[in-house]
Amino acid sequence: MSKLSIPFRLRVSLIIVIGMGFLKTGAWLWLGIYGAIALFWSFRLRAPVRTLAQLLGAELLFLFLLVLPQGWERASFLLLRSLICLLIMNSFLLTLPPHSFGIALKGLPLPAGLQEIVLLTGQYLEILLAEVNRMKISAQLRGLSGTGGWLRYASASMIGALYLRSLDRAERVHAAMLIRGYQGSLPSDSKSTPKERLWLTLAILIVAGLTIASYGYA
Amino acid sequence: MHIPDGFLSPPVAIATGIASAAVIAVALNRTRASLGLRQAPIMGLTTAFVFAAQMINFPVAGGTSGHLLGGALASVVLGSPWAATLAMSTVFIIQSVLFADGGITALGANIFNMGLVGIWVGWWLLQPLQQLLGGSRNRLPLAAGIAAGLSVVAASICVAIELAISGTVGLNIALPGMVGVHILIGIGEGVITGGVLTYLVKVRPDLLPGQQPQLQKWVVPVIGVLLISGVLSLFASSWPDGLEAVAEKYGFKDKEAVAIENPTPLANYTVKGLEEQPIGTSIAGLLGSAFSFGAAFGIAQLVVKPKDV
Repeated sequence: MSKLSIPFRLRVSLIIVIGMGFLKTGAWLWLGIYGAIALFWSFRLRAPVRTLAQLLGAELLFLFLLVLPQGWERASFLLLRSLICLLIMNSFLLTLPPHSFGIALKGLPLPAGLQEIVLLTGQYLEILLAEVNRMKISAQLRGLSGTGGWLRYASASMIGALYLRSLDRAERVHAAMLIRGYQGSLPSDSKSTPKERLWLTLAILIVAGLTIASYGYA
Repeated sequence: MHIPDGFLSPPVAIATGIASAAVIAVALNRTRASLGLRQAPIMGLTTAFVFAAQMINFPVAGGTSGHLLGGALASVVLGSPWAATLAMSTVFIIQSVLFADGGITALGANIFNMGLVGIWVGWWLLQPLQQLLGGSRNRLPLAAGIAAGLSVVAASICVAIELAISGTVGLNIALPGMVGVHILIGIGEGVITGGVLTYLVKVRPDLLPGQQPQLQKWVVPVIGVLLISGVLSLFASSWPDGLEAVAEKYGFKDKEAVAIENPTPLANYTVKGLEEQPIGTSIAGLLGSAFSFGAAFGIAQLVVKPKDV
């Protein structure tokens, strides 16, 4: 597991992804450089290669369906760019310590009001997924499994029940947070150290240089 | 419906980004007043819920699939379209930034289409529809289901227009393609929204808005006119009208002359570029009705004197 702080990891990943988002379509050389940076970053974060490959493979199928109507030349560029973005963000997500998704989201550069919602969303996603697993096990024990299993999730009352069960837990978690002094933000340190700030500035300069250069030397 | 990077031109991406940022700023301001710490779990959980629900695709037709957008559902559960706007914007930010679902450069457009249009169209339709259906709380799921389905179609129209303005694909291809698929996805959205709310009405009615107040007198005719002009015009006959039929029969149709060229984009009750598509007639009908209503409303405001109090 990498020793870099979670907000720093998120910020660097975001800087690379945003820079790539603005890359000129068809600038293959600069995309290649971004690809090399992404591979280095993924290696630096020590992302589990096997899990990463499985995730990227599944997401690649959806990407194919999405971009192929664009024509082969444009589609292949969009596809590769999306794949590199996914490589970076999946490397970040796969190396998060347990229960730190909410803390990671707090590192997003957003207004305070949105940050609070993002933080709670990150926390409640874990509650929601835990409830999904419980309901899944419960359904399997009742013999509701097999190829038509997806119908369980499309069933409206099942979704309603999931919402209410999760809300019940969310309210209890929130009450516990309030008792412990929560006032809209977690006591996590999302401020960067001077060394991290230096690296972030350097990353911004490199990314801005690469993206601007793609418009001049495509 | 998430637009990836590279599909939108910079002006469209910037314009939708600015519009979305402005509405989010207003929503933050409005929501701070209406949602306190007590409401925070509902807000956070609803956002997480919509995020998770959007990951579950349901099969539509022709090998395509759709997923719940959840804008109308979120606005009903949260009781405020402003709070729902924040919840949905959060979902799209997380999806775009962390999961590369929807492009970073298209984030503003995705928030605009699914977060703003998807929520506000549903919200504006919800109360009149509930009232039209009787007004009781038990009618809320049906009204919300219909509103949710229509909001998905409205959002898909916006996507098609943005793609056309960006020069990615022509409106005559994008609009029928997007609307056709999203009518089916809208049915799925409506069924799920209605079903979830039916469950919530029975189990936790305190979470939902209650009886609707008396409907303003102009709402029913306006909704009726929009439904007729927008939906029923899709099935309008393409045969010539009475005068045209007579003119063709007696051979004076060729006497028709254009005295003054009118450069309207809605000539012959269709939209320029969509002459061959039924949806062109539908959009022209909706725009015409909206213009007529606006003109009549404006004239009425000018002519009618305010009542003495």
